[in-house]
Amino acid sequence: MLVALIIIVPVFLMVVSLFVRKIRPLGLINAAGYAGACVAGVMLLKVFLAGGCVPISLWGWIYIDSLSVFFLITTIAVTFAASVYSIGYIRLEIENGEISLRKAGSYFQLFNLFSFTMFIVPLLNNVALVWIAIEMTTLVSAFLVGFHNVKESIEAAWKYIIICSVGITFALLGIIFFYYTSSNDANVRSLEWASMLSGSGMFDPKIVRIALIFILVGYGTKAGLAPMHNWLPDAHSQALSPVSGLLSGVLLKISLYAILRFVILANFSVGYAYSARLFIFFGLVSLAVAGAFILVQKDLKRLLAYSSVENMGLISLGFGFGPFGGIAAGLLQVFNHAVTKALIFFCAGNAVQAYRSNNMNMMRGLIKAMPFTGASMFLGLFALVGMPPFSIFISKLCILVSAFQGGYHIIAAVMLILIAFAFAGLVYHISRIVLGSPPQALPCHKESLSAKLAFLFLGVFIVGFGVMIPQGFLDLLLSCQRLILGQ
Amino acid sequence: MTLNIILIGFLAATFLMVIAKRITALVRTFRIQSIFLFLYTLYMGLCQQHLELFVVCGLVFILKVVVIPLVLLRIMRRINVEEDLGLLINPQLSLVIALIFAYLSYLFAHNAMGLPYSQASAAFIASMTVVCIGFFLMVGRMKALGQVIGLLVMENAIFLAASVIAGGMPFFVEIALFFDIFVFIVIVEVFVYKVNRLFTHIDTSKMQSLKG
Repeated sequence: MLVALIIIVPVFLMVVSLFVRKIRPLGLINAAGYAGACVAGVMLLKVFLAGGCVPISLWGWIYIDSLSVFFLITTIAVTFAASVYSIGYIRLEIENGEISLRKAGSYFQLFNLFSFTMFIVPLLNNVALVWIAIEMTTLVSAFLVGFHNVKESIEAAWKYIIICSVGITFALLGIIFFYYTSSNDANVRSLEWASMLSGSGMFDPKIVRIALIFILVGYGTKAGLAPMHNWLPDAHSQALSPVSGLLSGVLLKISLYAILRFVILANFSVGYAYSARLFIFFGLVSLAVAGAFILVQKDLKRLLAYSSVENMGLISLGFGFGPFGGIAAGLLQVFNHAVTKALIFFCAGNAVQAYRSNNMNMMRGLIKAMPFTGASMFLGLFALVGMPPFSIFISKLCILVSAFQGGYHIIAAVMLILIAFAFAGLVYHISRIVLGSPPQALPCHKESLSAKLAFLFLGVFIVGFGVMIPQGFLDLLLSCQRLILGQ
Repeated sequence: MTLNIILIGFLAATFLMVIAKRITALVRTFRIQSIFLFLYTLYMGLCQQHLELFVVCGLVFILKVVVIPLVLLRIMRRINVEEDLGLLINPQLSLVIALIFAYLSYLFAHNAMGLPYSQASAAFIASMTVVCIGFFLMVGRMKALGQVIGLLVMENAIFLAASVIAGGMPFFVEIALFFDIFVFIVIVEVFVYKVNRLFTHIDTSKMQSLKG
């Protein structure tokens, strides 16, 4: 029932956006709809925890376990924030003459279609349908990346479609290998999670190893793991800011979810240690690449995009230290990074609208020009780089602890050095934007109420989870950890 | 016997794609490749007498033999750009690389995956070769349409691989995959027009405004 409600919300809103022509009510309806989805998500979490995290199967098409619930509520929370932020953002884009009234209507249609495709991914029962849903997220969001219809954004959108489609084609090959060993060795001719899992003990380890590499490279492209990350800074910097928040905050994690599903399937034939090695490899490469590019960035949104690559690397490392508590830590980082990155992308969106440029050298004195945005961005920055008392500090610390508990001393040391690079780059660039005095010619800008509300909503999570993580959420994370380790 | 002929045709069409220098030639050879894929599914359908296989076979014909090549040719007509595919690697060398892919696929199938020697494994090797060639076409051709066709070639080959090693995906998954390809080609058409309007060419090697 709750699940149906959550799926219907974006579909309903998309239909509404086809008929409502006025932008203001449309934005409000959108936000209200996703607020409803949020409530449904929290209730789903409660019901699920009360039922002892037992997987729920609905109509044969939908399969919900702790992992699905976790990724679903993360997605819903960030989508809600983005829908609230969109109200003011789109109005200002129209006032600035960046987009026409007609295009604003199509923005809301695409936004809802995009969130629909993201909502169904964690819920679907069938691995091939998950694949198709993820491919659909690419195809729909390509329009949101190329929304401005200028050279740069179309180039970014083209790269995005092509690179992600190729990546995901390799993932399809991986799925086929899993299907082959499942039907050949385990005699399960099905692509459904639960039935494949029941036969996964009999999978041929040789083929599972190969298949898992294809899956990690394929979905890893979409998850923004280096060295397959080339599309990411382009797409994230060219998309509209609410969408950039969604891309960085949740879209990357959605394909991580798909990877985790296959890691679970591979557990009983090749063991978790094999997946852990792959995760550590991609994690370290991502950290190194992102650290280098963060230092030399000139474009604010590209800087944030590379920071997403860095965080995906960290999450991946967390999974690499899995058996020692790293999985729960990595998942906590998934949630914390989603809300923090959404916040800071929204702040960047306000800044870009005010300064009319993405170039960080043009931006000075944000905190004087727009006090609320400037302050949020500054706090968001310190949350993002992992300062206490914010939530990312906790998850980074947990990842580090699990690394040392697992005896990965050298990897942990390398990880710390690479994080320090990213820390230095982010603090240097963003504090130069926030502090100082604004340029004389800067027109006076008022921040919209909706942006402030979105910042506050995300801020509650950022600060709140840094101080205390609710018991229910912690239970969910631990249940996910048991699931992934196959215990 | 029939199966071998179909596979040889499928591979030959792919090698023709490797040496194609013009976009229309690439589209036509893609159609030939799809025809062999259609013949393969038809043969499977006749052998196993499943209604579902005939439906899949019909969809392969409609989508891959008729609709996609028509859409690609229409794009070519509308944007009216030069035909040259923009080869980064010349046809002779491309052909040698394609042969190396075939050998590597052979090693992959027998050594890495440990498939037994059989007709199915030969078909699997053929499809893995074509996957590699599709990827090679995407990387080695500068024009946007070359990349799209490369991706479609990979898709064809994966379809064949699924069919030979796992006896085909479940029916509704196949249908959903066709839907996915259809949406993909429609969206690509929209974006090719946009690229052509803004850049006045579709040469992706000249798209370099985003860096670093």
